[in-house]
Amino acid sequence: MLLPEVGYARPSTVDEAVHVLASHDGARPLAGGQTILNVMKSRAAAPDVLVDLQDLDELRGIELAADGTLVLGAMATYSEVIASAEARARPILGEVCAQIADVQVRNRGTVGGNICSNDPTNHLPPLLVALGTTMTIASSAGERTVPAEEFFVGVYATAAGPGELLTKISIPAGKGDGFAAVTIGKDGTCIVSAAASLDGDAPRVVVGCVHGVPVLVRPDGADEEAVRRAVRGANLEPPSDVHASADYRRHLAEVVAARAVQRARTRRS
Amino acid sequence: MAATAPVGGKTVTVRVNGTTYEREVEARRLLIHFLRDDLDLTGSHVGCDTGNCGACSVLYDGTLVKSCMLLAVQADGASIETVEGLAEGDELNDLQQAFGAHHALQCGYCTPGMLMSATALLREKPHPTEDEIRKGIQGNICRCTGYVNIVEAIKSVGA
Amino acid sequence: MTETTVAPPKPVVVEEGKPQKGWAGQNVPRKEDKRLLQGEGVFFDDIKRHEMGYVHFVRSPYAHARIKSVDVSKALELDGVYGTLTGDEVAILTDPFFELSVKPGADMKDYALAVGKVRFVGEPVAAVVAATRDLARDAAQLVEVDYEPLQPLVDARVAQSGGAPVLHEEAGSNVVWDGTFDWGDWEAAAAEADHVVKIKELHFDRFSSTPLECSGCLVEYNRGTGQWTMYCNHQMPGVGAIWMAPAMRVGIDKLRFVTQDIGGGFGNKICLHPYFVACCLLARKLNRAVQWTEWRTDQHTANAHGNERWFQDIEVAVKADGTLLGFKVKALDDCGAFPRYEPLGCIIWAQVTPGCYRWRHIRVGFTQVVTNKSPVSPNRGYSRMQHLWLTERIIDVVAHELGLDPVQVRKKNYVKHEEFPYETPNGCVYDSGDYARCLDIALDLVDYKKIEEKRVDAEARGKLFGIGIGSTLDSGTNNFGQSMILNPELQFSGNNEVATVKLDIFGEIVVTLGTVPQGQSHETTSAQVVSDILGCSPADVTVRAGHDTYWNSHAGFSGTYASQFAVTGLGAVKGATDMLAGEMKQLAAVVLGCAPDDIELADGTARMKANPEAALPFMALGAILNANNAGLPEDLNITLNCRYVYRPPFEKPDLERKYGNLTLTYATQIHACVVEVDPDTGVYEIVDYAAVDDCGKRIHPQIVEGQVHGATAQAIGAATHETFPYDEDGNLLTPNFYDYHVPHALDMPPMKTGYIESESPFTSLGAKGMGEGGGAGIHAVCAALQDALSSRGRPIVTDSCNPYHRVWSLLQDPAASRAGVEVVSR
Repeated sequence: MLLPEVGYARPSTVDEAVHVLASHDGARPLAGGQTILNVMKSRAAAPDVLVDLQDLDELRGIELAADGTLVLGAMATYSEVIASAEARARPILGEVCAQIADVQVRNRGTVGGNICSNDPTNHLPPLLVALGTTMTIASSAGERTVPAEEFFVGVYATAAGPGELLTKISIPAGKGDGFAAVTIGKDGTCIVSAAASLDGDAPRVVVGCVHGVPVLVRPDGADEEAVRRAVRGANLEPPSDVHASADYRRHLAEVVAARAVQRARTRRS
Repeated sequence: MAATAPVGGKTVTVRVNGTTYEREVEARRLLIHFLRDDLDLTGSHVGCDTGNCGACSVLYDGTLVKSCMLLAVQADGASIETVEGLAEGDELNDLQQAFGAHHALQCGYCTPGMLMSATALLREKPHPTEDEIRKGIQGNICRCTGYVNIVEAIKSVGA
Repeated sequence: MTETTVAPPKPVVVEEGKPQKGWAGQNVPRKEDKRLLQGEGVFFDDIKRHEMGYVHFVRSPYAHARIKSVDVSKALELDGVYGTLTGDEVAILTDPFFELSVKPGADMKDYALAVGKVRFVGEPVAAVVAATRDLARDAAQLVEVDYEPLQPLVDARVAQSGGAPVLHEEAGSNVVWDGTFDWGDWEAAAAEADHVVKIKELHFDRFSSTPLECSGCLVEYNRGTGQWTMYCNHQMPGVGAIWMAPAMRVGIDKLRFVTQDIGGGFGNKICLHPYFVACCLLARKLNRAVQWTEWRTDQHTANAHGNERWFQDIEVAVKADGTLLGFKVKALDDCGAFPRYEPLGCIIWAQVTPGCYRWRHIRVGFTQVVTNKSPVSPNRGYSRMQHLWLTERIIDVVAHELGLDPVQVRKKNYVKHEEFPYETPNGCVYDSGDYARCLDIALDLVDYKKIEEKRVDAEARGKLFGIGIGSTLDSGTNNFGQSMILNPELQFSGNNEVATVKLDIFGEIVVTLGTVPQGQSHETTSAQVVSDILGCSPADVTVRAGHDTYWNSHAGFSGTYASQFAVTGLGAVKGATDMLAGEMKQLAAVVLGCAPDDIELADGTARMKANPEAALPFMALGAILNANNAGLPEDLNITLNCRYVYRPPFEKPDLERKYGNLTLTYATQIHACVVEVDPDTGVYEIVDYAAVDDCGKRIHPQIVEGQVHGATAQAIGAATHETFPYDEDGNLLTPNFYDYHVPHALDMPPMKTGYIESESPFTSLGAKGMGEGGGAGIHAVCAALQDALSSRGRPIVTDSCNPYHRVWSLLQDPAASRAGVEVVSR
């Protein structure tokens, strides 16, 4: 509670938003606010300006392109993804969104906010890497796209730098996806998560919560042993904390990766 | 671009339970503090500082939210429903009566948020299953009841 | 005002099977509900005063450090800051709070703010008051404190070792209190035993019930009278005032506590006096109402945890047939940085020394030490929960190691129904109960007959399956004389509670309690008792909400704690109402021209038994005495405003033998828990759960059941994820609800409940205090996990809290947990 002093801007277009983001050091986008406001309550962060994105309707949509690409506006809420008929083209999205926290958080929290905060305990960063997602980032210099593997650069850090704004999340067509996680209690704080996609040439398995960024591994098969071998081969050095030792996380990474792949196989068949 | 120049605070107009309030607020003020301290609507409570407990839950333009994870300035123009707006005058609504009949509250601190979560659930799903009820109140911590009677109360309204 | 204090000299035996008609026993609507359901409850933080200031505490980032300097000047420069308070001022203006312990604990100095040193992360070092909450926090960040960090002590097990830092130099030791309790003849029991089961170490984790409303107060100082009024959520103002007044060097009448609605307490709102003193000093210094609201992170880091306890070198004497003869143990209690309510936890456990069992030879070496962690305070199940966890762990480890059936070991060793009242080896008297029957009910509820089928089914699904039992006693109505076993100099013994019941001018029945409810429905159950005696409806009875010192309806031990309202609170209500009923009959007799014995109270009237037509409505009685009393006989000495102090029948204990009756009633809880464990991850789920309760006469079954649900949920939380671990620097690792995971709605298993009613022979209503019996859930979960993991190397569950990572460790290395377990057989 009791945030530090902060400036507030409420632009009505993406252009305005990136302008105000660029013109103030320490300006941060305010999407759903379900992370950043809590960080500010603890005064662990004190941005100078919060740029409220709520009026940017261009960031709201969930659209299915003719080629099957699903395009999520960065401001799409989890609840909107869950309810969206278009998003069901890649059903894993709604399923994972439905496991995030609780109704209130899902109603406000946004896909863009989830991945831009890149809290290692978040579910969407590993999922979007697994799905081969492309991020579109706007700035006053125009737009650029970044593959999800390159988007996450460190704990709480992404390729969307100062003066930039994530606008779109483009997910290619597919359906052979799976997700598994160990959380504290049902839908509580995540200990380890894994997402898998079997749609490409080889399985894409991404482990979350074991490193500052999601860890992509490419097993040479979709059987349990291959997946576990690949995760072992990644030589993970996960953090130890109150919820899990590094050893436990390393072990869970194998288990949940294998489960995610198993679920993906089930869905594909 | 002057319209987007950052401000340290602003005048907001918010409709709460049908009454319109206009107040000058600092940008940093959370909606829950605005409701409790500025509008003296103290029915909504604060039970944590991490967005976990749900005691501050309100309906925000019809959507269930935790009012500790929204700034008051964001709510400019919004319409909010809180626990104070549930009863018809002095007559408790069905949900409130069910909470009483099923002993779904003890200390009553989580109750306002819990009622708002249940209200949102029942609007969306008038006849929720037990699992849907538990999912619907997953974001609201109660330390007194073990949720047993809360679930029963909501179930009875949706029966 | 009439006051009578009546206590039977010895326990009065109430005839069993006496008729119970009327409101008591019925689920009447709760009086508290309407306001709470409309958001119209009044919690302390809802109260505002003109031009009030908001307090924010500057808190220590270090677990242990010397304070070299505190500079508030930058904070004072900020616009809107009204003033500050520092430890130096506190040391001048107040004396240390009195300590309950003998030396060394007696010499530990505890002030409202840190003086000279900080001893835990989050300890208040200074306070700032400003025009808004936000500003106060901003200003607090500008206070400059220069610390010299010291080595922190975070493991109680090394607190007495040579190299350990000493927290309180004045005491010269980290030991608060130690002593030996020795009942029966342990050596003889060990000699008689066929097996001695040894367990090196068990650990009861720190946790707390974390009431959803955090602590706080709004304090006004009246310069004219020198009195402070605290609108607050202190749950034990009687004792709070005893701490505060001498420290503040004022008479106890200068302190007025006012509560209305409190958002849960569970014991966590008993030790608020340091914060309240700081607020009182600020209100006086600034001549302004000041308000302090504790936030969740503050609550977790720096208010009060439940006691952490180590049990070491446990030995259990067992006969070949499973008969338990006794045990010995070294208990090491970690009370955090300051004793505060301690060392009472060093004796409270003794209320349930043998648990539910008949063993007679028990030796406990008990030591309590300070560490650089949050102080503790009584937490639901206080001190008994830790000890009962030990006794239940012992049962399950013994059964596990000797290949006995935990159900049969319990049944064989439970105190038997026909043995009540049962005197324990240390002189406590278990009033009534039937543990074996409760266990049977619990087992039926989880379909125990089919448990092996269920095990097979779970194993077919790749799950490890286990069932566990928790048997506990909820001892209620303390004899505070037990404190003298710790410190013979203390002038505390017995117990008391007050109620005032009056008939007002328009016939209103108004009840004023001394208690401080936080959700326990006192308004409702009091009204039930009153209406039964006065022959009216609970709806006709007004029970004032909350507590106010100025109502003068409280006594030294007033408060809501230690499972006692049904006995002490309702005992006082009954006493006062009986007095009022007598006066109403006297008055009616005068008016109607008959003898008081000819009058009965029924249907809201006082009427002649022989001629019900001759009736005076309550309104007439109230009006006559209060406003139309000319001509009443001079010797009619009544007030229709009756205050009664309930005092339970206690003797002072035998201090030499540490022997005596420490509590009046013992409610029983027998729980059964069924778990399924995922062997690949350690993740487990409680798939079935039964809680059976016996609290004697149930005044309001629905409320009793609600307490059972809530206590069980807290126990399940404590057994699964709720723990307050610290890192080696003394930082709390679970300082909020993000990392401290309490059960949410989806986490709670389906809960089945059952009950029996073994009325207490020692209480006027046959009721027993209840509400703190949830510890059974911790024991049951631990036992179920041990059962489930048994096929994987037979690990022993050694900790009370078993998050997934701990279960995984047991699966990975079962031998490690077994290393401390040994069976020596004859």
